[in-house]
Amino acid sequence: MLLGILLALIAGSLVGMQNIFNSKVNEHANSWATTTLVLCLGFLASLTLGFVFEGSQILAFHPMQTWYWFSGLIGVGVVTCVVQSMKRLRPTVAISIVMASQLGFALIMDTYGFLGLKPVPFTFKQLIGVLIIIVGIVLFKSNSREEKQQKEIAS
Amino acid sequence: MKGILFALLGGFFITLQGVANSRISQDIGTWQATTLTQGTGFVAAFILMMVFRDDTWKQFRRVKPLYLAGGSFAAIVIFSNVTAIHLIGVTVSISALLIAQLSMAFLTDSFGWFGVSKQRMKLPQFIGIGMMIAGVLILSF
Repeated sequence: MLLGILLALIAGSLVGMQNIFNSKVNEHANSWATTTLVLCLGFLASLTLGFVFEGSQILAFHPMQTWYWFSGLIGVGVVTCVVQSMKRLRPTVAISIVMASQLGFALIMDTYGFLGLKPVPFTFKQLIGVLIIIVGIVLFKSNSREEKQQKEIAS
Repeated sequence: MKGILFALLGGFFITLQGVANSRISQDIGTWQATTLTQGTGFVAAFILMMVFRDDTWKQFRRVKPLYLAGGSFAAIVIFSNVTAIHLIGVTVSISALLIAQLSMAFLTDSFGWFGVSKQRMKLPQFIGIGMMIAGVLILSF
């Protein structure tokens, strides 16, 4: 349990840093060029770490289902949808909805054992937990930097 | 309205990405799954960049090298996320991930790291983080 939470915390802090770095790249380049660079480096880093930890095993052929080859398209979907929502809504509002949606779908996928996950039975306690987190996200995002900047620009 | 739909779909894709990687890693191993999804994603994004004639990569040289390297974090992010999903399920993994992500944003804004303009954190931000942690505790135990 603790190891799992620790790993998720590491992932989250790196995502937070990556978001800042990527947006710095995005200040100079458009979103497709930025996405291409980000995924290219992700690919090279994964390949390198794979070699470090597993040696040539990383290149061993495994039987795969066809859709595995298209899994990278999910990442393209992420970028497209998040960028489009940020264009149409205030950034803080967009990100709050994205995060709430992430949690909502996580609960649904756990409950139904989506894609071979071990089903985690849905309980009232889980719903309460997720709702409290969503309220926390909205509170955290309320009155934050981006909106102030927008007000400054507006005034 | 369209913006809200895009945001909801964006959240769906982020969660799906973790679950799909987790599924693929059961068959071919976690580092292999990470390499495969990043590699095929790179090819798709590259094709789209060509289709939309986005030649702004020429501007990369104007960005600090440190910021250009952000993409490489994905290797550790996906590996940790997939392993966490195997260990504790999707809901708790995503919850803990979001807390760390927002705490990182909180620290960056408070201390003005990475050239971000400093921003005083107020009560709603503290209560918000507190509620998120409480939520994860409720989910986990």
